[in-house]
Amino acid sequence: MKKVEAIIKPFKLDDVKEGLSALGVKGLTVTEVKGFGRQRGHREVYRGAEYQVDFVSKIKIEVVMEDELVSDAVHVLQEKAKTGQIGDGKIFILPVENAIRIRTGETGKDAI
Amino acid sequence: MTSPSVELKNARTELLSRFSSGDVSETFQENYSEIVDHYFRRSVQESQAGSLLFRDKKPFALVALGGYGRRDLCIHSDIDVLILFDSRVPSSAKKLAEDLFYPLWNLGLDLGHGMRGIKDCLTLASENLEALTAMMDARFICGESPLYLTLVERLDKKVLRKMALTFSRWLEEQNQMRMAVFGDASSLLEPNLKEGIGGLRDYHHLLWLAKAFFHLRTPKDLEYSGILSHREYADLENHLRFIHLVRNHLHQGSARKNDRLTFDYQERIARALSFKDQDGLLAVEQFLGQLHASMASIKSLHRSFVFTHSPGSRRHDIGSGHSESLTAAFHMDQGEIHFSSATAILSDPLLVMDIFLEGVNAGRPLSLESKRLVREFLYLVDDPFRTSERAARGFLSILKAPNAFEALDQMLETGFLCAFIPELEPVQDRVQFDHYHLFPVGRHLLQTVRHLKTLHQEKDILLADIFLDLPDPAPLFLAALFHDIGKTGKDHAAKGAVLVRNILKRFGYDRKKMEGVCFLVHHHLLLAETATRRDLNDEKIVVQCAERVGTIERLKMLYLLSWADGRATGPRAWNDWIANLVLELFFKILHILERGELATPDASRRMRQSMQQVRSHIGARLSPADQERLFDVMPPNYLIETGPRAIAQHSALYAGLQDTRAKGLDSAFCLESEAEPSSGTYEVTFLAKDRAGLFSDVAGVLALNNINILSARIYTWRDGTAVDIFTVTPPVDPIRTEEIWKKIKRDLAETFQGTLPLSERLQQKAEPSLLSRKKILTRQTRVIVDNESSDFFTLIEVFTDDRIGLLYQITHTLFALGIDIRVAKIATKGDLVADVFYVLDLEGQKVLEREKVEKIRDVLLQVLSTN
Repeated sequence: MKKVEAIIKPFKLDDVKEGLSALGVKGLTVTEVKGFGRQRGHREVYRGAEYQVDFVSKIKIEVVMEDELVSDAVHVLQEKAKTGQIGDGKIFILPVENAIRIRTGETGKDAI
Repeated sequence: MTSPSVELKNARTELLSRFSSGDVSETFQENYSEIVDHYFRRSVQESQAGSLLFRDKKPFALVALGGYGRRDLCIHSDIDVLILFDSRVPSSAKKLAEDLFYPLWNLGLDLGHGMRGIKDCLTLASENLEALTAMMDARFICGESPLYLTLVERLDKKVLRKMALTFSRWLEEQNQMRMAVFGDASSLLEPNLKEGIGGLRDYHHLLWLAKAFFHLRTPKDLEYSGILSHREYADLENHLRFIHLVRNHLHQGSARKNDRLTFDYQERIARALSFKDQDGLLAVEQFLGQLHASMASIKSLHRSFVFTHSPGSRRHDIGSGHSESLTAAFHMDQGEIHFSSATAILSDPLLVMDIFLEGVNAGRPLSLESKRLVREFLYLVDDPFRTSERAARGFLSILKAPNAFEALDQMLETGFLCAFIPELEPVQDRVQFDHYHLFPVGRHLLQTVRHLKTLHQEKDILLADIFLDLPDPAPLFLAALFHDIGKTGKDHAAKGAVLVRNILKRFGYDRKKMEGVCFLVHHHLLLAETATRRDLNDEKIVVQCAERVGTIERLKMLYLLSWADGRATGPRAWNDWIANLVLELFFKILHILERGELATPDASRRMRQSMQQVRSHIGARLSPADQERLFDVMPPNYLIETGPRAIAQHSALYAGLQDTRAKGLDSAFCLESEAEPSSGTYEVTFLAKDRAGLFSDVAGVLALNNINILSARIYTWRDGTAVDIFTVTPPVDPIRTEEIWKKIKRDLAETFQGTLPLSERLQQKAEPSLLSRKKILTRQTRVIVDNESSDFFTLIEVFTDDRIGLLYQITHTLFALGIDIRVAKIATKGDLVADVFYVLDLEGQKVLEREKVEKIRDVLLQVLSTN
């Protein structure tokens, strides 16, 4: 089992969600996050006063899936979240030791 | 015979099942209290310990306290009861307590109990005000009634009269605490039925104050003593009945004492109370609407009562109780605005509007009596009233005032707001059953106004800066008050704009400003939606937004409205995350409007006209949908700077290129040249899939073939197609033009395939001519790198002397520096060249690092001066 985490541009969420559902991913967690990478925040000047926006608003999605799905999921993410410009985001793949569904106590791949 | 506790258990079970079947709905609390009373009476009678106490002349009384004392027992309410003795509690009383209380614990009921002598009770009450309130609601159940009467009498004389002021201050503190912890239940979507403002606690406070200061015994005395009118008391009873009913359902549903009506219970309770989906409103939305209305009414009654009657209230800090005449129609008494005469309203109904204006000007609330009169005379608010100029003027002045929110709040509470603006009626109590909106629409609209009125207190000073720039904020406030007025169905923003137009016409509002208000209402979601759902790095998206907004003033109002609307909706609708995105969009639109090239009304009109002509050129070659797709791909600056005939021509070339590329020829390009006899020049059009270095290759091939570029415009369409338009000198040999153009195409193809070493060939070509054509550079070359003029691109401007191959030199240098040219404008005047390049780095970002900017400038200068 792997956890796939991706930081993407907010307006790409729907495309990514659709793409992953089509793959058979059954659920995902979405978080509104802020941060910066190579795309930094920006500084604005209004009437002589400066307004610094330090962080860029992004969406983080997290999906846990079986190993076989990972390469397809990454492919979909890359395709759907890409604009070709800075700030398209990153994908992280992490190993997952186990998963437990709280309601039933099922574990492993039955729980995802 | 069954034991008292079994009897209680059975009676309670039966009552609960009757409640479930809807048999007892409104009298549940009384019935339940009676059942418990009965249990205590029988238990005392049957308790041996009890009989012994009476025999030993240690009489006692059983007294119900708190909610049980008021007969307000809901399903899982605590049962508070006191065994009252004259002085000391005898040791044998312990057995009595066991007899009375153990069975209740065994039944799983929540019991609050005490055993005290009268004196201890009074000490406790004066030390602990919460205990005092419980005792104020004391009710005799059974036993020695004189003990109870003594307690009540001495509580009044020895505690209440002495501590009235402390008590009322304490209540006020409690209110502030409730507001902070539980919020205003009359407008929260998950209200706390008991402790929230507008909840049952408001009614308790009112009752306690009345008991403390008017020595009332029962709630009914509120009406008998004239504190409330008959109608107000009847309304109060109805509202309380409804809230208690909801509370019982909530207790039953959650199987515990739970007073917070969370989302998960709301639908179930709405169904249990027979609300049905109708008129596009969900049952649960109607249910919450009614609940909020009840709570708002209780809140309002409580507030007015506290303001008027409580000695610790604000009223007593203001003036000495002298009445002050404001105008003939109104006077101020103890800090509140009063009508001087009720009959005057009959002859001049507009006084009902004027009193709110008076209140706003004086910064004071209407008195309870004034609000009562406003309610009574609402029928006078008819069409002539609504269309009268004086009413409109009054209303607009109120909206402009700093404390407009307070006035609007009182208008909403008295029903005047909806009477004056009937369009608000269908939406005022409308609740949206989601986790997003915290308030029903009516409150939300007022909250939006409130946020705008207090924006100078915000940490984000940009808001206040923008607000101060508005020449007239009135349209913003009107839009804030009305932005969701169309929320009776889908597409509420468009619908709202229509409704607002009617309202403002009725007001005789200035036409031009009216358009502004309608615009704001219609587009109040534009910024938030675009910012969260569209690509803000796509210039065309932002330009389209800018076109819709049209002017800087509107943009500023729209930004403030988006902010206030979001804040008034709830923390999920507005947080730093969204604020960041909306702010980015705001500045990008602002810069486009400030520069005024792409989105001015004039530019938009020209663009529309041009597109219309292009359509007629293209004709039936493309379906309207395909035409729209095509326009969508074209960037705004291309559309503005290119004539319709040329656009149509490019479209045809573009279609051809798409076909070739569909066959898998990714390096395909097309090049067309056309003579311009009038100027003796050629116009060359070049299309290909864009990549970094492409422009440099084309410029190089033209130079290689001795074609000098006089001017050029290059664009990158939104799907990544490069469209370059050059005006060039004709091929040197006029007889072989066709052949030369063919050779150019061949050279291009070879360059793209990598078989033609362009750079080398150009170098070889330049060497001999260096000697023959060497000329002294007459002007100093200038290079400017500009990051201020565009949010989307870095601009590189180059001014230098013209020469063949110059453009290749520049563009090739930029390519080597990792710079991608997206748009370029090349102009030659005499032998001076002025080039502007709109560039990004290879990651698609503006070139912002200072070292990189300096490097670009230095390298370009070096290349251009070592000619």
